[in-house]
Amino acid sequence: MIAEAIDAVLFRWEKRRQRPFWRMVYLFAARIFRGGGDSDAEGLDLGIGLVLTLLAMPGGFVSILLLNKYGTFLQWLRGQANVDPLLVALPDEYFFIVLSMTVTGAVAVWRWDAIFPDRRDYMNLVPLPISTRTIFLANLVAVLFLVGLVAIDVNAASCLLFPVVVGATQSKFLFFLKFAVVHALGVLLASVFAFFAVFSVIGLLMAVLPPRTFRRISAYMRGVVVVCLVALLCTSFAVPQVLRYMPAPRWIALIPSCWFLGLCQSLRGRAGPVLTELSAFALPALAIAALVALCTYVLGYQRHFVRIAEIADTSAIAPSPRTSRMGALLDRLALRTPFQKAGFRFVGKTLLRSETHRLVLTAVGGLALVLASQALMDAFEGAKSLRQAALSADALSIPFILSFLIIVGLRMVFEIPAELRSNWIFQLMVDPERQECEGLARRVILILVLPWLLAISLPVYAYLEGWKVAVLHTLLAITWAVLLTNIVLIRFRKIPFTCTLPVFKQHSFVTLLSCCFGFLLYAVSTPEFESSALPEPVRMLSLVPAAAALWFIPHYLGKSANEIERRLIFEESPTQTIQALRLSD
Amino acid sequence: MLEAVHLTKRYASLPAVQELSFTLRPGQVLGCLGPNGSGKSTTVKMLTGLLQPTRGVVRFDGHNIQEDLTAYRKLLGYVPEEAHLYPYLTGWEYLELIGTLRGMDRRDLAKKIDSLLQLFSLHPSRHASIGSYSKGMRQRILLIAAIMDDPEIFIFDEPLSGLDVTSALIFKNLVQTLGQQGKLVFYCSHVLEVVEKVCSDVLILRKGVVIAQDSVENIGHILGQSLENTFLHLVDDVDTMSVARDIVTVMKTKAA
Repeated sequence: MIAEAIDAVLFRWEKRRQRPFWRMVYLFAARIFRGGGDSDAEGLDLGIGLVLTLLAMPGGFVSILLLNKYGTFLQWLRGQANVDPLLVALPDEYFFIVLSMTVTGAVAVWRWDAIFPDRRDYMNLVPLPISTRTIFLANLVAVLFLVGLVAIDVNAASCLLFPVVVGATQSKFLFFLKFAVVHALGVLLASVFAFFAVFSVIGLLMAVLPPRTFRRISAYMRGVVVVCLVALLCTSFAVPQVLRYMPAPRWIALIPSCWFLGLCQSLRGRAGPVLTELSAFALPALAIAALVALCTYVLGYQRHFVRIAEIADTSAIAPSPRTSRMGALLDRLALRTPFQKAGFRFVGKTLLRSETHRLVLTAVGGLALVLASQALMDAFEGAKSLRQAALSADALSIPFILSFLIIVGLRMVFEIPAELRSNWIFQLMVDPERQECEGLARRVILILVLPWLLAISLPVYAYLEGWKVAVLHTLLAITWAVLLTNIVLIRFRKIPFTCTLPVFKQHSFVTLLSCCFGFLLYAVSTPEFESSALPEPVRMLSLVPAAAALWFIPHYLGKSANEIERRLIFEESPTQTIQALRLSD
Repeated sequence: MLEAVHLTKRYASLPAVQELSFTLRPGQVLGCLGPNGSGKSTTVKMLTGLLQPTRGVVRFDGHNIQEDLTAYRKLLGYVPEEAHLYPYLTGWEYLELIGTLRGMDRRDLAKKIDSLLQLFSLHPSRHASIGSYSKGMRQRILLIAAIMDDPEIFIFDEPLSGLDVTSALIFKNLVQTLGQQGKLVFYCSHVLEVVEKVCSDVLILRKGVVIAQDSVENIGHILGQSLENTFLHLVDDVDTMSVARDIVTVMKTKAA
């Protein structure tokens, strides 16, 4: 009987799913996940299952890590008695809200081009006997379905695990239930808000700008949104502290995550006056974001999709002579061989134009900017004058933070393939025996890092502290940047973006840990030492042996590599479990 | 002179090409015909050096091309079967990349690119991204990339796919002119009429084995029929007319 009922339901569902409208919804949902736009890129085309797993992971990991904080036994060991779990959970609650907003916002930015139906959809669907209104509604349903799916997926682990972790100290099930429901409501609404907010930005741009301008500006706008998301993530450490002060600063009301924290605390009846005031923004803001998203979606659809046939497929803008002059200058000064000249242009254009690479690099750049701004604020805190602030370790660390993250970020981005199927041209034309890739990658990194180090650090410190300090500081920052570049490019033997993604190896964790340790040495310890040594510049000489060692190690490793290790590769081979010894060779 | 000597390529243990031998002399335009899966693309990849043969060698002027692939490729212009290009580069930028990688002089390069883009009717969209190009436009970009350094050897793998009638006619005449100028041209195609028109010699492959190799005229004379009929006779035992009739029957069939 039950089996028959289930079969009947499944049959009806299957029948409904096969209707044109639902087939289109399915098509659009799949397209949003698998990509749109012009590119047939396969670089980071992950399966839906894997994407959902990856999105759910941060919340799960953080919840598990919090066991350490909320474990009753550990609290007893630390001598923490009568802990108010709701008070202690406030910063973590805020972090989860920020995390859900950032991840959902990042998904919206990542799939920016795929949210709206594009030329490919137009060419495939419009000639069919389907009205454009039906296409519009199907895409809208697909978008709404995905908003819900992403919001639930991103927060699923934290909605379950975080209340369990916090409620472990309480004997009442009702406490757990109430905490779980309020937490789930807060993070889900925050997620939906973030998605609609990003969607509104796209929709507004589409509604206001002509198609060609939109296409050009869209890339930069996405960069701005990514920086905002990174900045939002960085508030998770500072905002809970700020909220404890009374009265809280007025700018706190501008941070959307605070509204949803206020909502959660109000629902629990634990909000102070500041959080109560902030909570009043949450639901209206969500409603406005959803409304703006919907309205701009309708307008954008009218302006762009319905008129795709009228809009020229190609937009031809000649490069400015300034760019050509800069290229010629670089050719003369830094790029010697034809491979370097061609490779540098290829790398530069890929970094600027390939969606995936641009987004990853923007995220790294955003993180670098946020950390640098934090260092700048710390430098001014407690400093009596501008000169004193400039000589503090925090201010001195700014070029080190920026250069470290840009160098490591670029090295990471080089590993991400761009249009792998198109790399045949390099396979055909580049001599795999002549190892020029490392030189090319070094030039790209240094050309992107050194000019601004010189252009900003030198004049600023010359103005504030005089030429001696300025030269010493800039020289140290440049030397460290060059040495770090050499280190990150040890045995680099691929043309950036032309090789398959690296396979996971046992030493990947070691690499990750080395990065963290390297950051501490590079961007924390060095500026601290520099700050203490600048009053007596002779002390700076003690860095020379360290620099010499850092120069020698990559140099030695590069020289000791055999022919096979130097050969240019286009495919990463997995680590072999069994290897032939070839004793007879 | 380009020679393929007993070329064999196996994927795992499956042979894709077996004991393939031919010679391509200056001025000769050698057409390569064969149904899908006959080993045409594998042959092309071995001739370009993208694949190493399991057995046998490709020699150019008596030297194994694998000994100095870079020098060999400097003399090679290649149009692959599928137009995989970087979609975010503009047509001009892509050609500039290829020209620079080939070591062409930068001043000549710019002039050459400009002229060729004009001749192939791509000049107005030279600064548009390749992602927005039609298949024919991408194919023309590949053709320009292959010819712009004036190489000695040309390997064309289905070069006409997606081209409009005018561009296809220009290209066919171009291939004949290249042959007359003493270049070596290896031309892979499914389109028998084109091979018949532009090639001096033809090589017919089936399941990785050469089943016929001669001048276009002789091949027709042997069986006393056109190249198309010869090809069908040699390669497939399919009654094409009856298959066409069956297709129409299926089109008209309705579920009971």
